[in-house]
Amino acid sequence: MFEMSKKGGTDKPTEPTMRSEPTVRSETTTARPSAGREHALIGASIHIDGELRGEEDLLIEGEVNGTVQLKNNSLTIGPQGKVRADVYAQSIIVDGFMEGDLYGSERVAIRKNAQVRGNVTSPRVSLEDGAKFKGAIEMDPQAVQSATGRNKPAQAAAPAPRPQGSPQMAPNPGASSAVKSAT
Amino acid sequence: MRPDPRPQTNLAAEPHGAARTTSSGGAQQEESLSAPLFHSLVDRLGDGGRFVLLDLASARPATVRLLSQFRCRYEVAELADAIDPLNAEQDPRRLRSIAEAALPARRQEPTDIVLCWDLLNYLNRPALTAVMECIAARGRPGTLVHALVYYAARQMPERPSSFLPLDENRLEIVPQNVPLRAAPRYSPEDLATCMPRYAVDRARLLRNGMQEFLFRI
Repeated sequence: MFEMSKKGGTDKPTEPTMRSEPTVRSETTTARPSAGREHALIGASIHIDGELRGEEDLLIEGEVNGTVQLKNNSLTIGPQGKVRADVYAQSIIVDGFMEGDLYGSERVAIRKNAQVRGNVTSPRVSLEDGAKFKGAIEMDPQAVQSATGRNKPAQAAAPAPRPQGSPQMAPNPGASSAVKSAT
Repeated sequence: MRPDPRPQTNLAAEPHGAARTTSSGGAQQEESLSAPLFHSLVDRLGDGGRFVLLDLASARPATVRLLSQFRCRYEVAELADAIDPLNAEQDPRRLRSIAEAALPARRQEPTDIVLCWDLLNYLNRPALTAVMECIAARGRPGTLVHALVYYAARQMPERPSSFLPLDENRLEIVPQNVPLRAAPRYSPEDLATCMPRYAVDRARLLRNGMQEFLFRI
């Protein structure tokens, strides 16, 4: 089981489905996902390969390869974070390295230090000056809705694999389902 | 280049540009350009239909903000990173491969609009031909390419400039403190030779010496 250090709140049990090697606690972070909100942290020395799921906000300062699903929560890729994955979350903030497709049911923010290679699908997308971005941003509300809206809770499962070598948006019927409003 | 059924070329100097002249000493000054052909593109985006728009330059917040008002998919090629390898390659097949790799993957949905702000000036003729062929393969009949080409201006910055849409009428050149170099000053005839699948829809000479082109596949 992967151990995550808590930042900014109570110590509720955390059991995201993660496969990883050594469990290393790290408190080193410079990014704050949501002021005042509890979030889990994947520290700079942690490397995860596989599927990462959770029910709380998450800050990644380490390296994650595979898939990230936080369908009702926010994900922040911190300045030290390196993510090679398709990411499904309510809110996604990128301040580090990201390669893969981003599905934000509420918003995606690409900060000035970010390096993003992939496609972004979200009703609200912001990009700061200085960010490196190569890929596509889906700004058509109908396309965004069809990409996120077809995710039904009953279908929730591992995201369908993207075609090899294709950076095209590949909406996943099981990935970002059951999106709730932020509270 | 195919004959254009609706030639509307107007090479008259753009009267409404608020440009401050580019210095010859290397430091580029901020410029705001009235770009009437860009305005016509934005008008088209407002039609309510869906558009796939390919930007050959870097994504900028101002561009994202402008395009977020419309139903579109915004693809960003960041082609500046590929300029050197493109210009260095001699073999047409390998050149085409480099261009393909630098552009977003082909999709079933064709590209409707291409923003080609300044990049053409930094490609030699074979590279320009390869890139525009690859773009044409992603387009459809009627795809529009909005391009800014140094024409009257003899010099240009050593590296491509960033252009920001201030609004639907005006583009701002982001100043960069780099040396100047000679501009290739591609003429419409040069471009016609390098881009045989494109026709000039309209062209305007902007006050800063750049030619604003609207090409059509």
